[in-house]
Amino acid sequence: MTLANLRDLYQQVILERYKKPKHRGVTAPVHRLQRGHNPSCGDTIELTVQLNEAGDRIEDVKFEGEGCAIAMASADLMAEAMRGKSTDEALEMVQRFQSMMQGNAEFPTEQRKLNVMQGVSQFPVRIKCATLTWHTLKAALESSNEPQPVGFVSNE
Amino acid sequence: MTIIQEKTIAVKVRSDFPILHQQIHGKPLVYLDNAATSQKPIAVLDALRHYYEFDNANVHRGVHTLSSRATDSYEGARDKVAAFVNAASRQEIVYTRNATEAINLVAYSWGSTLKSGDEIILSVMEHHSNLIPWQMLAQRTGAVLKFVGLTETEEFDFEQFKSLLSDKTKIVSVVHVSNTLGCINPAKEICAEAHRHGAKVLIDACQSLPHMAIDVQDMDCDWLVGSGHKMCAPTGIGFLYGKLDLLRSMPPFLGGGEMIADVFLDHATYADLPHKFEAGTPAIAEAIGLGAAVDYLTNIGMDKIHAYEEELTAYLFHKLKEIPELHIYGPQPNADGSGRTALAAFTAGDVHPHDLSTILDQAGVAIRAGHHCTQPLHRHLKAQSTARASLYFYNTREEIDVFIASLKEAVEFFGGIFG
Ligand SMILES: Cc1ncc(COP(=O)(O)O)c(C=O)c1O
Repeated sequence: MTLANLRDLYQQVILERYKKPKHRGVTAPVHRLQRGHNPSCGDTIELTVQLNEAGDRIEDVKFEGEGCAIAMASADLMAEAMRGKSTDEALEMVQRFQSMMQGNAEFPTEQRKLNVMQGVSQFPVRIKCATLTWHTLKAALESSNEPQPVGFVSNE
Repeated sequence: MTIIQEKTIAVKVRSDFPILHQQIHGKPLVYLDNAATSQKPIAVLDALRHYYEFDNANVHRGVHTLSSRATDSYEGARDKVAAFVNAASRQEIVYTRNATEAINLVAYSWGSTLKSGDEIILSVMEHHSNLIPWQMLAQRTGAVLKFVGLTETEEFDFEQFKSLLSDKTKIVSVVHVSNTLGCINPAKEICAEAHRHGAKVLIDACQSLPHMAIDVQDMDCDWLVGSGHKMCAPTGIGFLYGKLDLLRSMPPFLGGGEMIADVFLDHATYADLPHKFEAGTPAIAEAIGLGAAVDYLTNIGMDKIHAYEEELTAYLFHKLKEIPELHIYGPQPNADGSGRTALAAFTAGDVHPHDLSTILDQAGVAIRAGHHCTQPLHRHLKAQSTARASLYFYNTREEIDVFIASLKEAVEFFGGIFG
Protein backbone atom coordinates (compact mmCIF):
# COMPACT_ATOMS: atom_id res chain seq x y z
CA MET A 1 0.00 0.00 0.00
CA THR A 2 1.35 3.43 -0.89
CA LEU A 3 1.33 4.72 2.64
CA ALA A 4 3.20 7.88 1.72
CA ASN A 5 0.30 8.95 -0.51
CA LEU A 6 -2.14 8.16 2.22
CA ARG A 7 -0.20 10.14 4.80
CA ASP A 8 -0.42 13.06 2.41
CA LEU A 9 -4.17 12.74 2.29
CA TYR A 10 -4.78 11.78 5.88
CA GLN A 11 -2.51 14.26 7.63
CA GLN A 12 -2.37 13.84 11.39
CA VAL A 13 -4.41 17.01 11.88
CA ILE A 14 -7.17 15.61 9.68
CA LEU A 15 -7.32 12.36 11.62
CA GLU A 16 -7.34 14.24 14.94
CA ARG A 17 -10.10 16.60 13.86
CA TYR A 18 -12.14 13.64 12.61
CA LYS A 19 -11.74 11.88 15.94
CA LYS A 20 -12.11 14.91 18.18
CA PRO A 21 -13.78 17.79 16.40
CA LYS A 22 -13.67 21.14 18.19
CA HIS A 23 -16.59 22.83 16.51
CA ARG A 24 -19.39 20.30 16.49
CA GLY A 25 -22.72 21.59 17.69
CA VAL A 26 -25.10 24.47 17.10
CA THR A 27 -24.32 28.17 17.50
CA ALA A 28 -26.27 30.26 20.00
CA PRO A 29 -28.05 32.13 18.63
CA VAL A 30 -28.54 30.73 15.14
CA HIS A 31 -28.51 33.44 12.48
CA ARG A 32 -28.04 31.13 9.54
CA LEU A 33 -28.85 27.45 9.22
CA GLN A 34 -27.99 25.50 6.10
CA ARG A 35 -27.96 21.83 5.24
CA GLY A 36 -25.59 20.36 2.70
CA HIS A 37 -25.81 16.99 1.10
CA ASN A 38 -23.60 14.82 -1.07
CA PRO A 39 -26.18 12.77 -3.00
CA SER A 40 -23.67 10.26 -4.36
CA CYS A 41 -22.68 8.98 -0.92
CA GLY A 42 -25.42 10.20 1.41
CA ASP A 43 -23.12 12.35 3.53
CA THR A 44 -24.87 15.28 5.17
CA ILE A 45 -23.81 18.38 7.02
CA GLU A 46 -25.76 21.00 8.94
CA LEU A 47 -24.05 24.33 9.48
CA THR A 48 -25.18 27.03 11.86
CA VAL A 49 -23.72 30.53 11.81
CA GLN A 50 -23.78 33.30 14.37
CA LEU A 51 -23.23 36.81 12.98
CA ASN A 52 -22.48 40.17 14.57
CA GLU A 53 -25.24 42.74 14.99
CA ALA A 54 -24.63 44.35 11.63
CA GLY A 55 -24.82 40.91 10.05
CA ASP A 56 -21.60 41.35 8.11
CA ARG A 57 -19.15 39.46 10.32
CA ILE A 58 -19.04 35.84 11.47
CA GLU A 59 -18.83 35.32 15.21
CA ASP A 60 -19.16 31.55 15.26
CA VAL A 61 -19.75 28.55 12.97
CA LYS A 62 -20.69 25.07 14.15
CA PHE A 63 -21.51 21.88 12.30
CA GLU A 64 -23.43 18.66 12.77
CA GLY A 65 -23.63 15.74 10.40
CA GLU A 66 -22.13 12.48 9.31
CA GLY A 67 -19.42 11.92 6.80
CA CYS A 68 -15.93 10.67 6.11
CA ALA A 69 -12.72 11.90 7.73
CA ILE A 70 -12.10 14.34 4.90
CA ALA A 71 -15.58 15.89 5.06
CA MET A 72 -15.66 16.17 8.83
CA ALA A 73 -12.13 17.52 9.25
CA SER A 74 -12.79 20.04 6.50
CA ALA A 75 -15.89 21.25 8.35
CA ASP A 76 -14.10 21.52 11.66
CA LEU A 77 -11.11 23.40 10.24
CA MET A 78 -13.39 25.69 8.27
CA ALA A 79 -15.49 26.53 11.32
CA GLU A 80 -12.35 27.52 13.18
CA ALA A 81 -10.94 29.61 10.35
CA MET A 82 -14.19 31.54 9.93
CA ARG A 83 -14.35 33.08 13.39
CA GLY A 84 -14.10 36.84 13.19
CA LYS A 85 -14.08 36.97 9.40
CA SER A 86 -16.28 39.41 7.53
CA THR A 87 -18.78 37.72 5.24
CA ASP A 88 -16.86 39.07 2.24
CA GLU A 89 -13.62 37.58 3.54
CA ALA A 90 -15.43 34.32 4.20
CA LEU A 91 -16.74 34.11 0.65
CA GLU A 92 -13.29 34.85 -0.65
CA MET A 93 -11.92 31.98 1.46
CA VAL A 94 -14.54 29.66 -0.01
CA GLN A 95 -13.24 30.64 -3.43
CA ARG A 96 -9.67 30.07 -2.36
CA PHE A 97 -10.47 26.65 -0.92
CA GLN A 98 -12.02 25.60 -4.20
CA SER A 99 -8.93 26.77 -6.09
CA MET A 100 -6.76 24.87 -3.63
CA MET A 101 -8.69 21.71 -4.45
CA GLN A 102 -7.78 22.27 -8.10
CA GLY A 103 -4.15 22.56 -7.01
CA ASN A 104 -4.06 26.26 -7.88
CA ALA A 105 -3.85 28.06 -4.55
CA GLU A 106 -3.05 27.84 -0.90
CA PHE A 107 -3.87 29.88 2.18
CA PRO A 108 -1.58 32.60 3.56
CA THR A 109 0.36 32.11 6.80
CA GLU A 110 -2.35 33.22 9.20
CA GLN A 111 -4.75 30.60 7.76
CA ARG A 112 -2.12 27.97 7.03
CA LYS A 113 -3.91 25.30 9.06
CA LEU A 114 -6.30 24.95 6.14
CA ASN A 115 -3.41 23.93 3.93
CA VAL A 116 -3.43 20.44 5.47
CA MET A 117 -6.36 19.81 3.14
CA GLN A 118 -4.11 20.35 0.10
CA GLY A 119 -3.40 16.63 -0.23
CA VAL A 120 -7.02 16.05 -1.23
CA SER A 121 -6.32 17.68 -4.59
CA GLN A 122 -4.33 14.54 -5.47
CA PHE A 123 -7.49 12.44 -4.98
CA PRO A 124 -10.03 13.89 -7.43
CA VAL A 125 -12.89 11.64 -6.32
CA ARG A 126 -12.55 12.93 -2.77
CA ILE A 127 -12.64 16.66 -3.58
CA LYS A 128 -16.41 16.66 -3.18
CA CYS A 129 -16.01 15.36 0.36
CA ALA A 130 -13.73 18.27 1.26
CA THR A 131 -15.79 20.98 -0.44
CA LEU A 132 -19.23 19.99 0.88
CA THR A 133 -18.93 22.14 4.00
CA TRP A 134 -17.59 25.12 2.01
CA HIS A 135 -20.46 24.97 -0.49
CA THR A 136 -22.82 24.82 2.42
CA LEU A 137 -21.27 27.85 4.12
CA LYS A 138 -21.48 29.84 0.90
CA ALA A 139 -25.18 29.02 0.61
CA ALA A 140 -25.69 29.95 4.26
CA LEU A 141 -24.02 33.35 3.86
CA GLU A 142 -25.79 34.13 0.61
CA SER A 143 -29.22 33.25 1.99
CA SER A 144 -31.50 35.90 3.49
CA ASN A 145 -31.89 36.53 7.21
CA GLU A 146 -34.18 33.53 7.48
CA PRO A 147 -32.63 31.14 9.98
CA GLN A 148 -34.78 28.31 8.62
CA PRO A 149 -33.18 26.02 6.06
CA VAL A 150 -34.65 26.46 2.60
CA GLY A 151 -33.57 22.94 1.71
CA PHE A 152 -30.40 21.09 0.94
CA VAL A 153 -27.59 22.48 -1.11
CA SER A 154 -26.24 19.66 -3.11
CA ASN A 155 -22.65 19.10 -3.96
CA GLU A 156 -23.23 17.67 -7.42
CA MET B 1 -10.93 -24.68 4.73
CA THR B 2 -10.68 -27.25 1.99
CA ILE B 3 -9.33 -26.32 -1.38
CA ILE B 4 -11.96 -27.76 -3.65
CA GLN B 5 -11.22 -27.33 -7.31
CA GLU B 6 -7.73 -27.99 -8.58
CA LYS B 7 -8.14 -25.43 -11.28
CA THR B 8 -10.89 -22.97 -10.51
CA ILE B 9 -13.11 -21.36 -13.10
CA ALA B 10 -11.37 -18.09 -12.33
CA VAL B 11 -7.97 -19.42 -13.34
CA LYS B 12 -9.42 -20.56 -16.65
CA VAL B 13 -11.35 -17.40 -17.50
CA ARG B 14 -9.11 -14.60 -16.32
CA SER B 15 -7.33 -14.35 -19.64
CA ASP B 16 -10.72 -13.64 -21.24
CA PHE B 17 -10.88 -10.31 -19.39
CA PRO B 18 -8.11 -7.97 -20.57
CA ILE B 19 -9.10 -5.23 -18.13
CA LEU B 20 -8.22 -7.37 -15.13
CA HIS B 21 -4.55 -7.47 -16.09
CA GLN B 22 -3.47 -3.99 -15.12
CA GLN B 23 -1.87 -2.21 -12.20
CA ILE B 24 -3.57 0.44 -10.11
CA HIS B 25 -1.19 2.60 -8.06
CA GLY B 26 1.51 0.05 -8.83
CA LYS B 27 -0.54 -2.91 -7.54
CA PRO B 28 -2.42 -5.55 -9.51
CA LEU B 29 -6.06 -4.56 -9.89
CA VAL B 30 -8.42 -6.51 -7.63
CA TYR B 31 -11.87 -5.70 -8.99
CA LEU B 32 -14.51 -6.27 -6.31
CA ASP B 33 -17.26 -3.94 -7.51
CA ASN B 34 -19.13 -6.44 -9.65
CA ALA B 35 -22.53 -5.69 -8.18
CA ALA B 36 -22.21 -2.21 -9.69
CA THR B 37 -21.09 -3.53 -13.05
CA SER B 38 -19.18 -6.55 -14.30
CA GLN B 39 -16.18 -6.60 -16.61
CA LYS B 40 -16.55 -7.72 -20.23
CA PRO B 41 -14.85 -10.73 -21.82
CA ILE B 42 -13.07 -10.55 -25.19
CA ALA B 43 -15.93 -12.53 -26.75
CA VAL B 44 -18.29 -9.62 -26.04
CA LEU B 45 -15.80 -6.96 -27.12
CA ASP B 46 -15.22 -8.91 -30.34
CA ALA B 47 -18.96 -9.15 -31.01
CA LEU B 48 -19.25 -5.35 -30.76
CA ARG B 49 -16.27 -4.80 -33.00
CA HIS B 50 -17.38 -7.39 -35.54
CA TYR B 51 -20.82 -5.84 -35.74
CA TYR B 52 -19.45 -2.37 -36.42
CA GLU B 53 -16.75 -3.61 -38.78
CA PHE B 54 -18.93 -5.84 -40.90
CA ASP B 55 -22.67 -5.71 -40.22
CA ASN B 56 -23.66 -2.24 -39.07
CA ALA B 57 -27.05 -1.15 -40.43
CA ASN B 58 -30.44 -0.28 -39.02
CA VAL B 59 -32.64 -3.20 -38.09
CA HIS B 60 -36.05 -4.13 -39.51
CA ARG B 61 -35.77 -1.35 -42.07
CA GLY B 62 -34.02 -2.50 -45.18
CA VAL B 63 -33.83 -5.31 -47.65
CA HIS B 64 -30.13 -4.89 -48.25
CA THR B 65 -27.65 -7.44 -46.96
CA LEU B 66 -26.22 -5.44 -44.07
CA SER B 67 -29.65 -4.64 -42.71
CA SER B 68 -30.62 -8.25 -42.87
CA ARG B 69 -27.41 -9.33 -41.11
CA ALA B 70 -27.89 -6.72 -38.40
CA THR B 71 -31.51 -7.79 -37.94
CA ASP B 72 -30.57 -11.45 -37.76
CA SER B 73 -27.89 -10.86 -35.13
CA TYR B 74 -30.13 -8.55 -33.13
CA GLU B 75 -33.05 -10.99 -33.15
CA GLY B 76 -30.69 -13.93 -32.65
CA ALA B 77 -29.52 -12.35 -29.41
CA ARG B 78 -33.16 -12.22 -28.29
CA ASP B 79 -33.42 -15.99 -28.80
CA LYS B 80 -30.34 -16.42 -26.64
CA VAL B 81 -31.77 -14.31 -23.83
CA ALA B 82 -35.10 -16.15 -24.08
CA ALA B 83 -33.29 -19.49 -23.74
CA PHE B 84 -31.10 -18.15 -20.92
CA VAL B 85 -34.13 -17.48 -18.69
CA ASN B 86 -36.19 -20.33 -20.20
CA ALA B 87 -38.95 -18.07 -21.54
CA ALA B 88 -41.76 -19.91 -23.30
CA SER B 89 -41.51 -17.61 -26.31
CA ARG B 90 -38.98 -15.19 -27.79
CA GLN B 91 -41.80 -12.65 -27.97
CA GLU B 92 -41.68 -12.47 -24.19
CA ILE B 93 -38.28 -10.74 -24.24
CA VAL B 94 -38.38 -6.96 -24.69
CA TYR B 95 -35.06 -5.13 -24.98
CA THR B 96 -34.69 -2.07 -22.76
CA ARG B 97 -31.77 0.17 -21.87
CA ASN B 98 -31.43 -1.45 -18.46
CA ALA B 99 -33.46 -2.91 -15.62
CA THR B 100 -34.55 0.55 -14.54
CA GLU B 101 -36.21 1.21 -17.88
CA ALA B 102 -37.86 -2.22 -17.80
CA ILE B 103 -39.43 -1.47 -14.42
CA ASN B 104 -40.58 1.94 -15.60
CA LEU B 105 -42.12 0.31 -18.66
CA VAL B 106 -44.27 -1.92 -16.46
CA ALA B 107 -45.10 0.87 -14.01
CA TYR B 108 -46.30 3.16 -16.81
CA SER B 109 -47.92 0.67 -19.13
CA TRP B 110 -49.52 -1.95 -16.90
CA GLY B 111 -49.58 0.54 -14.00
CA SER B 112 -51.96 2.84 -15.87
CA THR B 113 -54.80 0.45 -14.96
CA LEU B 114 -54.35 0.93 -11.20
CA LYS B 115 -56.94 2.81 -9.16
CA SER B 116 -56.96 4.72 -5.94
CA GLY B 117 -56.69 2.30 -3.01
CA ASP B 118 -55.06 -0.52 -4.99
CA GLU B 119 -52.01 -1.84 -3.20
CA ILE B 120 -48.43 -2.28 -4.40
CA ILE B 121 -46.13 -4.45 -2.25
CA LEU B 122 -42.40 -3.77 -2.28
CA SER B 123 -39.70 -4.52 0.28
CA VAL B 124 -37.47 -2.20 2.29
CA MET B 125 -34.40 -3.65 0.55
CA GLU B 126 -35.38 -2.45 -2.94
CA HIS B 127 -32.90 -0.65 -5.15
CA HIS B 128 -34.10 2.89 -5.93
CA SER B 129 -34.86 1.55 -9.43
CA ASN B 130 -37.56 -0.66 -8.00
CA LEU B 131 -38.91 1.99 -5.65
CA ILE B 132 -39.15 5.36 -7.38
CA PRO B 133 -41.21 4.16 -10.41
CA TRP B 134 -43.78 2.76 -7.95
CA GLN B 135 -43.75 5.92 -5.84
CA MET B 136 -44.47 7.88 -9.01
CA LEU B 137 -47.22 5.45 -9.99
CA ALA B 138 -48.77 5.73 -6.53
CA GLN B 139 -48.75 9.51 -6.86
CA ARG B 140 -50.42 9.33 -10.27
CA THR B 141 -53.11 6.82 -9.36
CA GLY B 142 -53.65 7.05 -5.61
CA ALA B 143 -52.43 3.46 -5.19
CA VAL B 144 -50.86 2.63 -1.84
CA LEU B 145 -47.31 1.30 -1.24
CA LYS B 146 -46.76 -1.44 1.36
CA PHE B 147 -43.36 -2.65 2.47
CA VAL B 148 -42.05 -6.04 3.50
CA GLY B 149 -39.47 -5.68 6.27
CA LEU B 150 -36.54 -7.80 7.37
CA THR B 151 -36.25 -10.79 9.66
CA GLU B 152 -33.72 -10.93 12.49
CA THR B 153 -31.17 -12.38 10.10
CA GLU B 154 -31.77 -9.42 7.77
CA GLU B 155 -33.63 -11.38 5.13
CA PHE B 156 -37.00 -10.96 3.38
CA ASP B 157 -39.72 -11.41 6.01
CA PHE B 158 -41.92 -13.94 4.25
CA GLU B 159 -44.41 -14.24 7.10
CA GLN B 160 -44.97 -10.50 7.16
CA PHE B 161 -45.24 -10.55 3.37
CA LYS B 162 -48.10 -13.04 3.60
CA SER B 163 -49.88 -10.84 6.11
CA LEU B 164 -49.66 -7.85 3.74
CA LEU B 165 -51.31 -9.70 0.86
CA SER B 166 -55.02 -9.13 0.33
CA ASP B 167 -57.51 -8.74 -2.47
CA LYS B 168 -56.39 -5.12 -2.70
CA THR B 169 -52.86 -6.21 -3.67
CA LYS B 170 -52.43 -5.69 -7.40
CA ILE B 171 -48.70 -6.13 -7.75
CA VAL B 172 -45.70 -7.35 -5.79
CA SER B 173 -42.39 -6.01 -7.09
CA VAL B 174 -39.36 -7.32 -5.25
CA VAL B 175 -35.68 -7.95 -5.69
CA HIS B 176 -34.46 -11.53 -6.16
CA VAL B 177 -30.97 -11.00 -4.69
CA SER B 178 -30.34 -7.86 -2.65
CA ASN B 179 -27.40 -5.79 -3.89
CA THR B 180 -26.68 -4.80 -0.28
CA LEU B 181 -27.69 -7.71 1.95
CA GLY B 182 -26.72 -10.45 -0.50
CA CYS B 183 -29.73 -12.49 0.61
CA ILE B 184 -31.56 -14.65 -1.93
CA ASN B 185 -35.29 -14.04 -1.71
CA PRO B 186 -37.74 -16.92 -2.23
CA ALA B 187 -38.98 -15.69 -5.60
CA LYS B 188 -40.95 -18.81 -6.47
CA GLU B 189 -42.81 -18.85 -3.16
CA ILE B 190 -43.44 -15.11 -3.40
CA CYS B 191 -45.03 -15.63 -6.83
CA ALA B 192 -47.19 -18.50 -5.61
CA GLU B 193 -48.50 -16.55 -2.59
CA ALA B 194 -49.16 -13.40 -4.60
CA HIS B 195 -50.98 -15.34 -7.31
CA ARG B 196 -53.29 -16.87 -4.70
CA HIS B 197 -54.51 -13.31 -4.14
CA GLY B 198 -54.71 -12.52 -7.83
CA ALA B 199 -51.72 -10.15 -7.69
CA LYS B 200 -49.02 -9.90 -10.34
CA VAL B 201 -45.32 -10.25 -9.52
CA LEU B 202 -42.30 -8.46 -10.94
CA ILE B 203 -38.89 -9.85 -9.98
CA ASP B 204 -35.83 -7.60 -10.11
CA ALA B 205 -33.20 -10.15 -11.12
CA CYS B 206 -30.29 -7.72 -11.64
CA GLN B 207 -28.17 -9.42 -8.99
CA SER B 208 -29.27 -13.01 -9.58
CA LEU B 209 -29.09 -13.32 -13.39
CA PRO B 210 -25.29 -12.91 -13.47
CA HIS B 211 -24.74 -15.53 -10.77
CA MET B 212 -27.27 -18.37 -11.00
CA ALA B 213 -29.54 -20.17 -13.45
CA ILE B 214 -32.94 -18.48 -13.75
CA ASP B 215 -36.03 -20.24 -15.03
CA VAL B 216 -38.95 -17.86 -15.40
CA GLN B 217 -41.44 -20.65 -16.05
CA ASP B 218 -40.46 -22.53 -12.93
CA MET B 219 -40.45 -19.30 -10.91
CA ASP B 220 -43.81 -18.36 -12.47
CA CYS B 221 -43.14 -14.62 -12.22
CA ASP B 222 -45.24 -12.31 -14.38
CA TRP B 223 -42.31 -10.06 -15.24
CA LEU B 224 -38.58 -10.29 -14.63
CA VAL B 225 -36.03 -7.57 -15.33
CA GLY B 226 -32.27 -7.57 -15.79
CA SER B 227 -29.38 -5.32 -16.81
CA GLY B 228 -26.85 -6.64 -19.31
CA HIS B 229 -23.91 -4.71 -17.90
CA LYS B 230 -23.94 -6.72 -14.67
CA MET B 231 -23.67 -10.00 -16.60
CA CYS B 232 -20.69 -9.42 -18.89
CA ALA B 233 -22.64 -7.46 -21.55
CA PRO B 234 -22.20 -3.80 -22.51
CA THR B 235 -24.00 -0.93 -20.82
CA GLY B 236 -27.13 0.41 -22.51
CA ILE B 237 -28.89 -2.92 -22.87
CA GLY B 238 -31.21 -4.75 -20.51
CA PHE B 239 -34.44 -6.62 -20.87
CA LEU B 240 -37.95 -7.18 -19.65
CA TYR B 241 -39.36 -10.67 -19.60
CA GLY B 242 -43.15 -10.76 -19.40
CA LYS B 243 -45.76 -13.47 -19.82
CA LEU B 244 -47.09 -13.31 -23.36
CA ASP B 245 -50.77 -12.67 -22.61
CA LEU B 246 -49.89 -10.06 -20.06
CA LEU B 247 -47.55 -8.19 -22.41
CA ARG B 248 -50.25 -8.39 -25.11
CA SER B 249 -52.78 -6.78 -22.79
CA MET B 250 -50.48 -3.90 -21.89
CA PRO B 251 -50.62 -0.58 -23.79
CA PRO B 252 -47.39 0.66 -25.44
CA PHE B 253 -44.92 2.61 -23.34
CA LEU B 254 -43.02 4.82 -25.80
CA GLY B 255 -44.36 5.68 -29.25
CA GLY B 256 -42.38 6.01 -32.47
CA GLY B 257 -40.81 3.98 -35.24
CA GLU B 258 -40.33 0.21 -34.93
CA MET B 259 -43.32 -0.21 -32.61
CA ILE B 260 -46.04 0.30 -35.24
CA ALA B 261 -47.94 -1.86 -37.72
CA ASP B 262 -49.88 0.69 -39.75
CA VAL B 263 -49.70 4.45 -39.36
CA PHE B 264 -52.22 7.13 -40.38
CA LEU B 265 -52.12 10.80 -39.61
CA ASP B 266 -54.51 10.56 -36.71
CA HIS B 267 -53.96 7.03 -35.43
CA ALA B 268 -51.87 3.91 -35.73
CA THR B 269 -51.97 0.23 -35.02
CA TYR B 270 -49.15 -1.29 -33.08
CA ALA B 271 -46.63 -3.93 -33.96
CA ASP B 272 -46.86 -7.36 -32.42
CA LEU B 273 -44.70 -8.33 -29.48
CA PRO B 274 -41.96 -7.69 -28.64
CA HIS B 275 -41.64 -4.74 -31.05
CA LYS B 276 -44.67 -2.99 -29.59
CA PHE B 277 -42.41 -2.02 -26.67
CA GLU B 278 -39.29 -1.18 -28.68
CA ALA B 279 -39.85 2.28 -30.11
CA GLY B 280 -37.07 3.90 -32.09
CA THR B 281 -33.72 2.56 -33.29
CA PRO B 282 -32.60 0.22 -30.53
CA ALA B 283 -29.14 -0.38 -29.03
CA ILE B 284 -28.30 -2.89 -31.77
CA ALA B 285 -24.63 -3.54 -31.06
CA GLU B 286 -25.32 -3.72 -27.34
CA ALA B 287 -28.10 -6.26 -27.82
CA ILE B 288 -25.74 -8.37 -29.94
CA GLY B 289 -23.17 -7.94 -27.16
CA LEU B 290 -25.75 -9.21 -24.68
CA GLY B 291 -26.24 -12.26 -26.87
CA ALA B 292 -22.49 -12.86 -26.86
CA ALA B 293 -22.39 -12.48 -23.07
CA VAL B 294 -25.20 -15.00 -22.67
CA ASP B 295 -23.28 -17.44 -24.91
CA TYR B 296 -20.15 -16.86 -22.88
CA LEU B 297 -21.87 -17.49 -19.55
CA THR B 298 -23.76 -20.49 -20.91
CA ASN B 299 -20.56 -22.05 -22.21
CA ILE B 300 -19.04 -21.88 -18.75
CA GLY B 301 -22.34 -23.02 -17.24
CA MET B 302 -24.45 -21.04 -14.79
CA ASP B 303 -24.48 -23.94 -12.34
CA LYS B 304 -20.69 -24.08 -12.34
CA ILE B 305 -20.50 -20.32 -11.87
CA HIS B 306 -22.91 -20.53 -8.98
CA ALA B 307 -21.03 -23.41 -7.34
CA TYR B 308 -17.67 -21.63 -7.67
CA GLU B 309 -19.14 -18.43 -6.26
CA GLU B 310 -20.43 -20.35 -3.27
CA GLU B 311 -16.86 -21.49 -2.61
CA LEU B 312 -15.74 -17.88 -2.86
CA THR B 313 -18.52 -16.82 -0.48
CA ALA B 314 -17.45 -19.39 2.11
CA TYR B 315 -13.84 -18.25 1.84
CA LEU B 316 -14.72 -14.55 1.88
CA PHE B 317 -16.81 -14.82 5.03
CA HIS B 318 -14.25 -17.07 6.69
CA LYS B 319 -11.58 -14.42 6.09
CA LEU B 320 -13.78 -11.47 7.05
CA LYS B 321 -14.10 -13.03 10.51
CA GLU B 322 -10.43 -12.26 11.06
CA ILE B 323 -11.33 -8.58 11.42
CA PRO B 324 -13.38 -8.16 14.59
CA GLU B 325 -14.13 -4.46 13.91
CA LEU B 326 -16.35 -5.37 10.95
CA HIS B 327 -20.11 -5.39 11.00
CA ILE B 328 -21.45 -7.30 8.00
CA TYR B 329 -25.05 -6.86 6.84
CA GLY B 330 -27.38 -9.61 5.66
CA PRO B 331 -27.46 -13.31 6.51
CA GLN B 332 -24.43 -15.45 7.28
CA PRO B 333 -23.70 -18.03 4.59
CA ASN B 334 -23.91 -21.74 5.35
CA ALA B 335 -20.63 -23.57 5.84
CA ASP B 336 -20.53 -24.49 2.15
CA GLY B 337 -21.08 -20.87 1.13
CA SER B 338 -24.70 -21.36 0.10
CA GLY B 339 -27.55 -19.24 1.44
CA ARG B 340 -26.35 -15.87 0.18
CA THR B 341 -24.36 -14.44 -2.71
CA ALA B 342 -20.69 -13.53 -2.95
CA LEU B 343 -20.94 -9.96 -1.78
CA ALA B 344 -20.48 -8.33 1.58
CA ALA B 345 -21.65 -4.87 2.63
CA PHE B 346 -20.05 -3.85 5.89
CA THR B 347 -18.94 -1.08 8.19
CA ALA B 348 -15.65 -1.01 10.08
CA GLY B 349 -16.15 0.70 13.41
CA ASP B 350 -15.57 4.43 13.15
CA VAL B 351 -13.80 4.24 9.80
CA HIS B 352 -16.05 5.81 7.20
CA PRO B 353 -16.63 3.64 4.07
CA HIS B 354 -15.32 6.41 1.83
CA ASP B 355 -12.04 6.50 3.67
CA LEU B 356 -11.83 2.70 3.53
CA SER B 357 -12.44 2.73 -0.19
CA THR B 358 -9.71 5.33 -0.81
CA ILE B 359 -7.22 3.34 1.24
CA LEU B 360 -8.11 0.09 -0.53
CA ASP B 361 -7.83 1.80 -3.90
CA GLN B 362 -4.23 2.61 -3.05
CA ALA B 363 -3.72 -1.14 -2.73
CA GLY B 364 -5.33 -1.73 -6.14
CA VAL B 365 -8.57 -3.01 -4.60
CA ALA B 366 -11.81 -1.60 -6.07
CA ILE B 367 -14.76 -1.71 -3.68
CA ARG B 368 -17.87 0.45 -3.49
CA ALA B 369 -18.64 2.89 -0.70
CA GLY B 370 -21.93 4.66 -0.22
CA HIS B 371 -25.58 3.70 -0.02
CA HIS B 372 -25.56 1.52 -3.18
CA CYS B 373 -28.89 3.03 -4.28
CA THR B 374 -30.63 1.46 -1.29
CA GLN B 375 -30.97 4.52 0.92
CA PRO B 376 -34.18 3.40 2.66
CA LEU B 377 -32.53 0.06 3.49
CA HIS B 378 -29.51 1.86 4.93
CA ARG B 379 -31.84 4.00 7.02
CA HIS B 380 -33.58 0.83 8.18
CA LEU B 381 -30.20 -0.67 9.12
CA LYS B 382 -29.24 2.62 10.81
CA ALA B 383 -26.15 2.93 8.62
CA GLN B 384 -25.38 6.17 6.83
CA SER B 385 -23.35 4.27 4.29
CA THR B 386 -21.53 0.98 3.93
CA ALA B 387 -18.54 -0.43 2.09
CA ARG B 388 -19.26 -3.29 -0.27
CA ALA B 389 -17.07 -5.94 -1.86
CA SER B 390 -18.89 -7.92 -4.55
CA LEU B 391 -17.35 -10.84 -6.39
CA TYR B 392 -17.77 -12.58 -9.72
CA PHE B 393 -16.54 -15.86 -11.17
CA TYR B 394 -13.25 -14.34 -12.33
CA ASN B 395 -12.25 -13.42 -8.79
CA THR B 396 -9.85 -15.67 -6.90
CA ARG B 397 -9.05 -16.62 -3.33
CA GLU B 398 -5.74 -14.82 -3.74
CA GLU B 399 -7.67 -11.64 -4.51
CA ILE B 400 -9.76 -12.15 -1.39
CA ASP B 401 -6.48 -12.44 0.53
CA VAL B 402 -5.23 -9.13 -0.92
CA PHE B 403 -8.56 -7.50 -0.08
CA ILE B 404 -8.50 -8.77 3.49
CA ALA B 405 -4.87 -7.75 4.02
CA SER B 406 -5.49 -4.22 2.77
CA LEU B 407 -8.71 -3.99 4.76
CA LYS B 408 -6.75 -4.92 7.89
CA GLU B 409 -4.18 -2.25 7.10
CA ALA B 410 -6.91 0.32 6.59
CA VAL B 411 -8.58 -0.54 9.87
CA GLU B 412 -5.21 -0.33 11.62
CA PHE B 413 -4.38 2.97 9.95
CA PHE B 414 -7.52 4.48 11.40
CA GLY B 415 -7.69 2.19 14.42
CA GLY B 416 -4.67 3.97 15.85
CA ILE B 417 -6.55 7.22 16.17
CA PHE B 418 -9.63 5.69 17.75
CA GLY B 419 -7.47 3.59 20.06
C1 LIG C 1 -30.93 -5.00 -7.37
C2 LIG C 1 -30.77 -3.96 -8.44
N1 LIG C 1 -31.85 -3.50 -9.07
C3 LIG C 1 -31.77 -2.59 -10.04
C4 LIG C 1 -30.55 -2.07 -10.43
C5 LIG C 1 -30.53 -1.03 -11.49
O1 LIG C 1 -29.81 -1.42 -12.59
P1 LIG C 1 -29.62 -0.39 -13.79
O2 LIG C 1 -29.03 0.85 -13.20
O3 LIG C 1 -28.68 -1.09 -14.71
O4 LIG C 1 -30.95 -0.15 -14.40
C6 LIG C 1 -29.39 -2.53 -9.79
C7 LIG C 1 -28.05 -2.04 -10.16
O5 LIG C 1 -27.56 -1.01 -9.83
C8 LIG C 1 -29.52 -3.49 -8.77
O6 LIG C 1 -28.44 -3.94 -8.11
